[in-house]
Amino acid sequence: MLRIEQLEFGYPGAERMRFDLGVDDGEVLSLIGPSGSGKSTLLNLVAGFLQAERGRILLDQRPIQDLAVAERPVTMVFQQHNLFPHLDLYTNVALGLDPSLRLDSGQIESVRSALARLGLDGLERRKPGELSGGQRQRVALARALVRRRKILLLDEAFAALGPAQRSELIELARELVREQAMVALLVSHQPDDALIASARTAFVCDGQVAAIAPTRKLLQSSEPPELRDYLGSK
Amino acid sequence: MSRALPAAIVLALLALLVLAPMAGLLHLGGLPGYEAADLRFWDNAYLRRVLLFSLWQAFLSTLLSVLPAILVARAFAMRGELPLRRLLLGLFALPLVVPAVVAVMAVVSVYGSDGWLPLGRSLYGLNGILIAHVFFSLPLAVRLLLPQWQAIPQHHWQLAEQLGMNGWQSWRFIEWPMLREALPGVLLLVFMLCLTSFAVVLTLGGGPRSTTLEVAIYQSLRFDFNPARAVLLALLQLALCILVALATLKLQRLPEVEIATSAPARPASALRKWIDTGLIAAASLYVGMPLLSMLLDGLGGPLFKVVGGGGFWRALVNTLTIGLAAALLSTLAGWLLLRYSAHLAHCQRRSAARMVELAGSIVYVAPPLVIGTGLFVLLSPHVDVFGWVYPIVIAINALMGLPFVIRSLGPAMRQTHARYHRLCQSLDLHGWNRFRYLEWPLLRRPLGLALALVTVLAMGDLGVIALFGSTQTSTLALLIYQQLGAYLIPQATVTALLLLLLCLGVFALLERLVGGADDAAH
Repeated sequence: MLRIEQLEFGYPGAERMRFDLGVDDGEVLSLIGPSGSGKSTLLNLVAGFLQAERGRILLDQRPIQDLAVAERPVTMVFQQHNLFPHLDLYTNVALGLDPSLRLDSGQIESVRSALARLGLDGLERRKPGELSGGQRQRVALARALVRRRKILLLDEAFAALGPAQRSELIELARELVREQAMVALLVSHQPDDALIASARTAFVCDGQVAAIAPTRKLLQSSEPPELRDYLGSK
Repeated sequence: MSRALPAAIVLALLALLVLAPMAGLLHLGGLPGYEAADLRFWDNAYLRRVLLFSLWQAFLSTLLSVLPAILVARAFAMRGELPLRRLLLGLFALPLVVPAVVAVMAVVSVYGSDGWLPLGRSLYGLNGILIAHVFFSLPLAVRLLLPQWQAIPQHHWQLAEQLGMNGWQSWRFIEWPMLREALPGVLLLVFMLCLTSFAVVLTLGGGPRSTTLEVAIYQSLRFDFNPARAVLLALLQLALCILVALATLKLQRLPEVEIATSAPARPASALRKWIDTGLIAAASLYVGMPLLSMLLDGLGGPLFKVVGGGGFWRALVNTLTIGLAAALLSTLAGWLLLRYSAHLAHCQRRSAARMVELAGSIVYVAPPLVIGTGLFVLLSPHVDVFGWVYPIVIAINALMGLPFVIRSLGPAMRQTHARYHRLCQSLDLHGWNRFRYLEWPLLRRPLGLALALVTVLAMGDLGVIALFGSTQTSTLALLIYQQLGAYLIPQATVTALLLLLLCLGVFALLERLVGGADDAAH
């Protein structure tokens, strides 16, 4: 289980942000909210790309907020630039296991089976430029799969895809999270994504979690007023 | 049609200016003093030595410029927070507008007998050539390579950190692949510039042992009165330049990833920061010290004696006339070519558009001194070529400036055409009104930059003017060379300083007057 407790951070000249939330094993928690509200900042704090000034990030009761980026049990998938364009799919995934690429036979097999699990078998030697947007994000998920890190952060990872591909990949990510008992945070601008991905959704506004509730209930709620404005509901 | 005809006229003039001299060069039989034996190149020790030295100095200059430039560009990329970073990058842009002969004086003022780091006689020869070439090419290579690091997406740095890549792995998987895209192009460009370098080799070469093809062409025509040998050398130079240009076309590739300005997310160790800062400081000293030294020497030099000399004001007027006329001609020709090429690109005829732009860069394959030699050979039996000095020098300098016009104006012009051409058609906006309401406001900045750059390049040229000029038709660059030849080093330093200030002043003025204020056209 992931717990974020009174995690504080401030950009120079801007209001301080403070986050509190919890995510259960096997759960994908969606984060929705207006641009600049702090959703991606929260993900960057969990990944370690930004350093929190105060507060704790606990994974299964163990604090991880002081660990270096590479030591955190985290895999992050971005909207774009997840893959190195000059490397083939196999190498892009294999880098997730060992950046020196010295893999033993078991690791090679796990790269192959991850690619197969994501429907990419036979494409190992292709370069990212030869794939569709959806296939590229599948490769990023395959790398997340081989890394076996407990926290999966999806920062608008599927935002550039069409509706059908987006829901297909969200379903896939949800399955992986459940299978591997991971915890996942999904940032999205589309309320529909939250409906597909998450039993619970958090509304982030002005640098804090302003509401957290079962997804359908939250999307029909009229409180707080900022949520109403964000969803455009009367 | 309204775009095709002016572009066709420009292309025809370009062809005439380049191909006619080539025909002159190839018409060896008609030259006085021509012997068939002159063509037996490998039997001629002098020609062999000149060719090998040309290649050797260009190779060494390229190596000594580009290898350190990789380290310095990387240091600049990693130290986004470095104080004075913008100023130092500005300093690295300076050698691009400093005339070669001024740079030579700057180098002499540091490494000459009375300089801060005197090398004595050993400055003249390969050492001096390398020092001056690195002075020019290192900053150029840094500025060309730096965007490669800035084009690395921020997410790649974050990914590297998350995957636990060490410094070597980051270099291998992130930096090197990006660098590899640009490196062949940069290496070949620097090699080509050093291969065709004239003023540096002429002034610092130090005799037959350190002569390149360009200088040997000049010596054959002006001192040895041997046009046949000049022609052979020019043909050799032409063949080399065509080879390098073909290699550049073949190897130059653009990065495949989308450009996203970024700074590395990886926190650098204190040692790494010190090394990067040291590299930047050393390179800045290398570039800044000669300019500072020349400034101090020039200020303490015989200013009134130089300014009071009869030749100075005439040379000043000639310099400005040649610079401005060449720039206007070049910019007009570039504008007409680009207007047509943008139209072709808009009609999905991209290959034709590219061919039109490539034709404007023909000077890359046919160096100015080769064209000058061809014109000399072609015209000398019929007219007094020294009496035609201004049209010839202006025309060749305009040709030399054309690639810069195309490079700085091309992207903006293509973009403007692609975005607004249909709107203009629907509003029936064409001709003068289209220029006044659309093209001038949107394009005046790159236009100002192109005009300023070509003016300054032509003002500082010592190649063509040395071939055709005389005391009567001297420019400031030629005056400096004449003063150096007469061992009037203090006078040459003052003239060089005045030329530098004139170039910087004209550059700033034109960029401001034509390009407008920073916030114009936005």
